[in-house]
Amino acid sequence: MVILNIDGVDCYYESVKVLENIRFSEKEREFVGILGPNGSGKTTLLRSISRTLKPHKGAILLNDVDIYTLKSAEVAREMAVVPQDTVITFNFTALEIVLMGRNPHLSRFQIESEKDIAIARKSMEFTNTWHLAERPINGLSGGERQRVIIARALAQEPKILLLDEPTVHLDINNQLEIMDLLKEICMKSGLIVLAVFHDFNLAVRYCSSAILLKEGKIFSAGSIEDILTSENIKSVFQVDAIVKKHPVTNSLYIIPVSTPKSPPSRKLSVHLVCGAGTGTTLMKIMAGEGYNVTAGVLNVLDTDYETAQLLKIPVISEAPFSQVTKEAHNANLEMINKANALVLTSVPFGFGNLRNLEAVSEALERGIPTYVLDEVPIERRDFTKGKAKKRLKELKRKGSVFVRNQNELLSLLNISEEKMKMAKEVPTEILGHLKPEEKPHQGDRADDVKSSNSRG
Amino acid sequence: MSTSGVETAYFRRVSRWKLLLIILTAVLMLTIILSLNVGYAQIPFSTILMILAKRTPFLSSLMDSSSVSYVEERIIMQIRMPRVLAGALVGAALAAAGVVYQGIFKNPMADSYILGVSAGAAVGASLAIVLGIGFTLFGVSTVPISAFAGSLIAVFVVYKISRVGSRVPVTTLLLSGIAVSFFLSAIVAVLQVIAGGRLHVLVFWLMGGFSYVEWRDIWAILPIICLGTAATYFYAHDLNILALGEETAQHLGVDIEKVKKLLLIFGSLVTAAAVSISGLIGFIGLIIPHMTRILIGPDHRILLPTSTIVGATFLVICDAVARVIVSPVELPVGVITALSGGPFFIYLLRKKKESYAV
Repeated sequence: MVILNIDGVDCYYESVKVLENIRFSEKEREFVGILGPNGSGKTTLLRSISRTLKPHKGAILLNDVDIYTLKSAEVAREMAVVPQDTVITFNFTALEIVLMGRNPHLSRFQIESEKDIAIARKSMEFTNTWHLAERPINGLSGGERQRVIIARALAQEPKILLLDEPTVHLDINNQLEIMDLLKEICMKSGLIVLAVFHDFNLAVRYCSSAILLKEGKIFSAGSIEDILTSENIKSVFQVDAIVKKHPVTNSLYIIPVSTPKSPPSRKLSVHLVCGAGTGTTLMKIMAGEGYNVTAGVLNVLDTDYETAQLLKIPVISEAPFSQVTKEAHNANLEMINKANALVLTSVPFGFGNLRNLEAVSEALERGIPTYVLDEVPIERRDFTKGKAKKRLKELKRKGSVFVRNQNELLSLLNISEEKMKMAKEVPTEILGHLKPEEKPHQGDRADDVKSSNSRG
Repeated sequence: MSTSGVETAYFRRVSRWKLLLIILTAVLMLTIILSLNVGYAQIPFSTILMILAKRTPFLSSLMDSSSVSYVEERIIMQIRMPRVLAGALVGAALAAAGVVYQGIFKNPMADSYILGVSAGAAVGASLAIVLGIGFTLFGVSTVPISAFAGSLIAVFVVYKISRVGSRVPVTTLLLSGIAVSFFLSAIVAVLQVIAGGRLHVLVFWLMGGFSYVEWRDIWAILPIICLGTAATYFYAHDLNILALGEETAQHLGVDIEKVKKLLLIFGSLVTAAAVSISGLIGFIGLIIPHMTRILIGPDHRILLPTSTIVGATFLVICDAVARVIVSPVELPVGVITALSGGPFFIYLLRKKKESYAV
């Protein structure tokens, strides 16, 4: 039975308070993730628990004994620490490094016994490093080296294992291997594992519970699924994130989404007719470029719908998996009316969203410039027995601009914005006088578009 | 790789440590006896053995030592013996302190003089020489005593400067060691300028050597160097663990600040004792630890005693060479240590550089 009790700990570096009133308690077989942004006190908390940084207030109690009243060797028999990265000055062999883990169990001048070697071997076999035993430590790869360091920690036969981002320098394969290993040790040997993580997805997959730190205080603690919500991530990390349950691993997965700090301000409003993920990149790019983006009609649960929600793009929505109703269609038309341009993506058409094509042609008739992103041939995405194909042809005939890719589209939108600005600055009558002079200018622009295409 | 092979190999290596130390000690003894034979006066080797036997409690009654002349006995026992022993003691102290400092500072450039010991000793000795202060303490003359005092004062100042609360961070220790050394070297330069007629005595002391060593000097430094060096062996395993970094060492049960302080004290004491009778002999404290580490590995439990013996042997040999190579003139022993050890060290470094990444 092991109980680690962190009892109202305050820590300072010089006069700066870095931890305030940290209070939690863990028992064996707990795999606890310590999460939080840089400077939130994660590493400080580990240092304080590992008897390196004495708290100004409160205590770290190991089975009701304050660890700062114990000798370092006594603590080392109960608690092992795996740092982020270990710089080893002299070129010891891997086995010699692991044997150093036996130090708290040896007296001065005592040479390691067969029992110590056997424990070292067991730890190394467990971390799959026994074959490296006689290799010099500084000749090992990052992953091998970190596994040797973990073996060293295990050779201490600790009851508590503290890890500071144990896999931060490792590739994905090594990360999973080491995390699987730690989880197994935690369960098999009945350890308390406390680990600092920066990677939410790794934490979520392995931790039974978590502590979320913000500015040196516990923001939230408990089961990992309760803690890693998009609200918590937003308020602690100032990052928007999608939190979902993964169908295969059955654990949460978190996708952080970056939001641009200050997009350039533009006047142009663009309405997107999209769906099934065909508008996701465009939405992100256009929102990032500062366009006023709207979209519709999209079914709730559609990928594009979720993207729009995340980017706070106004959407006309429809119930999941159902046909676009008359009401939604009308609302969509109303929204389109406010737009300066309309973009139709290479969305697949079924009878459910055929009405959206109607909306496009309506817009065209009202004089709103429409652009059709024709990336995927309509034959391959028409599930309406040719109806969608027919309407698309009609659009082309009526003067929709067909573009091959997003770059082309964005250049054209750029031009129409310039035009719009000019139209606002200069009264229409005078614009007529200027027309002959304006033409070569427009020609230049067209060249720009071409060259940017060839570059892209 | 066979599964039990690794364990057996490890135990075999550890069990060879004792044998290695016995062999190296025998080599040191032999070197000492052989180097008694080196000098301006030609004394046959058989005579030397007879003189030694005469001084040995049990052998003396079995020997007929009537053929040994009084002069020969005096040369061996009063001139050569203290000198050879001084070489062994100083070499041992500098090499052991070098290992300790390289271990504490985790820096390959660290040597036994890193904390200002040499500069402090130089100032102490220069002051005594230039001011011509003459007194003796327990039969030891002024210059070694003031050199010893100077070096300990310098280390104490360095230590005080670097102290942050109850901790002594190695980076500040290293930097203040360098700063204090430079400052003290400037004082020595000033003293050299105003030394006048005593300049050659001062320069000769600064170059280092064993020309004026007497038995009383040996008796003065013997306990300090033997006890101090032996004391560092207590912390050999802690020095190993220190290689993982101070924080990790603490997590492995090493009382890091205490161990560091004790090792700094022992290292400074033995270095100060050595420098006080030999003057400044460079190279040993830097190169012998590296050389030994290349040859037998980084484990301080064997590295420390091995370096001690190798350092002693090396300096005895170098001093013997210095005495006769341009006879009748003597070369400063520091010249020989650098001339002979440098190329050998470079050879080892090039041969083993792949596995010797410090």
